[in-house]
Amino acid sequence: MLAPVLIFVLAIALAPLIFSFSISLTDYRLTDPTQAKPFVGLGNYIKAFQDKAVLETLWNTVVFTIGAVTSQVVLGMALALLMAGETPFMRALRSVAILPLALPPLVVGLVWKALYNPQFGPVAYYLKQIGLSVDRGLLGDFNTAMAAVLLIDLWQWTPLLMIIFLAGIKSLPGEMLEAAYVDGANRLQAFFFVMLPMLLPVLFIGVLLRTMNAFKVFDIIFATTGGGPGNATSVLNFHIYKVGLTFFDMGYAAALANILLFMIGVCSAFYILLLRRQRAAESL
Amino acid sequence: MSLYQIRTLAASATAIALVLSACAAPAATPIAPATTAPAEPTAAPAPAEPASGIVTREYAGSKLTLASQTDQFIEAFRALIPKFEELSGIDVTLDELGYVDLRQKATADFVGKTANYDLITVDIVWSGEYGQNKWTVDLTPLIERDKAQLALDDILPVMWTLGKWGDGQWAYPLAGYANILNYRTDLFAEAGVSVPKTLTELQEVAAKLTQPEKNVWGIGLLGAKGPAVAQDFMAYVQQYGSSLLDKDGKPAIDTEANLKALEGFKALFNAAPPDATGWWWGDRNDAFSSGKIAMMLNWSTAIKNHKNPDLNPFADKIETAFSPLGAEAGKYGFGGWGIGINADSKNKEAAWMFIKWITSPEVQKEWVDNNGSPIRRSTLTDPELVKKYPWFPILLESFEKGDGDYRPREPWYSKMEDVIGSEVNAYLVGQIDAKTALANMQKAALDIIK
Repeated sequence: MLAPVLIFVLAIALAPLIFSFSISLTDYRLTDPTQAKPFVGLGNYIKAFQDKAVLETLWNTVVFTIGAVTSQVVLGMALALLMAGETPFMRALRSVAILPLALPPLVVGLVWKALYNPQFGPVAYYLKQIGLSVDRGLLGDFNTAMAAVLLIDLWQWTPLLMIIFLAGIKSLPGEMLEAAYVDGANRLQAFFFVMLPMLLPVLFIGVLLRTMNAFKVFDIIFATTGGGPGNATSVLNFHIYKVGLTFFDMGYAAALANILLFMIGVCSAFYILLLRRQRAAESL
Repeated sequence: MSLYQIRTLAASATAIALVLSACAAPAATPIAPATTAPAEPTAAPAPAEPASGIVTREYAGSKLTLASQTDQFIEAFRALIPKFEELSGIDVTLDELGYVDLRQKATADFVGKTANYDLITVDIVWSGEYGQNKWTVDLTPLIERDKAQLALDDILPVMWTLGKWGDGQWAYPLAGYANILNYRTDLFAEAGVSVPKTLTELQEVAAKLTQPEKNVWGIGLLGAKGPAVAQDFMAYVQQYGSSLLDKDGKPAIDTEANLKALEGFKALFNAAPPDATGWWWGDRNDAFSSGKIAMMLNWSTAIKNHKNPDLNPFADKIETAFSPLGAEAGKYGFGGWGIGINADSKNKEAAWMFIKWITSPEVQKEWVDNNGSPIRRSTLTDPELVKKYPWFPILLESFEKGDGDYRPREPWYSKMEDVIGSEVNAYLVGQIDAKTALANMQKAALDIIK
């Protein structure tokens, strides 16, 4: 019974990882006429941490991830609380609210690119109406591009967290909140001291999922800014794509991909550790 | 207990999102297409005749697969391939691919030696990579063998840069592009300016044509990070009379001349729409078609569509002129596509027959009538064609004085283009200054080439 599972794990998960790690130790370039794939040890990893472009994209990735996850958790929780009612209207509203999730990120990027367009986009139009200068558009300005991309991500992925949090809220025992109110707790106290602690496991899962996805952001950047203007929105996954599929430096691209994987792994381990501690505390 | 009151508190946190949703509400706002609509074939192609005995039925029954870039000449392939199939009995499959897809699929085919493609259109800047790796066949011996059929003297000299690298010819000239100036005669007359001949005049004319209050701008430029701004900047450097490489082919980017060129390039953006710092080719063509810009420097391949009233409402007000040049420059920007034979193809002779036929003088007329770009002097001087395409004399002279080397045709080109595209864009949007941009480019270029 164990064999099929082992085969699955080896073939689907481990084999590509082993291959990726092995080529990351070589200077494997598709454009090398000799196709020699010389062994360079950890050379690609050392090069990555000395590469200005990689460090910039790494920083942008961290900024994007923190910005995306933080804003989406807050907004997702707020929407979940707002839409927790079981009226026909709320049920319909929830169905509409999760529509962005059904759209491919590339399509979302193109639609928002049009919305942001400084010439004919409605976002630029309304910003001009309130006296804000958007000559280059939010995506074209070095100071606003990252925020504009974050807003697109917020629009698409907040509903996912909303659904996760909503499921958590629905599973909460109502007696606890009622008891808190009977004991004189106000609404904020009831939320922060009663509801939120009970929602922590769900919160961690939501944060973990979105952190992993935000680290890997690619489609939206590809469709909207191409990493620009300047290096404002250049993230690691987009850089990996460029190194691997534009420059065809497969060894270096594999090393960068493994660094990204390691970062996601560390974040995941951190969240899982927090989750276990929280569960352990609950069981005491 | 109800959650109503907590929800009320939470509403304040959602306010921003709701306002932004409202901003996005007017779905009826017209959204312009991202790319220029394809042109319809302008003339019904005449029946093809075997060209100079090139086509035989020796390979009838064999199959060829052609991977082609979806530039304007794709329409010519669509129109002409059935005729070649009829004449030769060879079945030709046309795989139409965008630029990135074509490069990635072709590279995978070469490296994997899968020979899915027999024929590949080759961008001029890929010549070095293809030649160094011997991914395509060196056509030199075939050209020498069949020179009696090829009317080689008729092919303009600059066209051979489409595929030449080192001592080999890794692709055969297919479609030559000249960097020319397209402009609106009515806006020029209204502003009382004449066609600029120098880069100084270009700056002055562009400034005079700019009317922000009417949303009309002097010039359209490509500023988007990546190949777009890199190619426009390299063209400007070439027109300016400077160069990114020295005589030995080593990077010489951080020079006083290039500093002036870069500053001049940015100054030109003052007469361009503010969002031009994010423009790609399609954006510029759309802006020209919608009357937003008075002129643009662009590849000659776009002019036929702009002269088509179905595609450009200002078609009768559009004229073509030579690219303005700096005091030191004597050459015009040249680019375009060659067509190569996959080194692993099992059908090399059949593929060579196709190349000879599609580029032959007899087929060139149909080629250009179906939106292909010319490579031959006889095509550009054909009275019938010149009458139909009055910009051909400008193309001919641009080709005769064309420079296909302003974008280095070297294996490392794509990396160099990426660096230039990143640094110039960063300068244009104010992230770094011109000296830093050039210093960064120089350092990166030295790293790339070493």
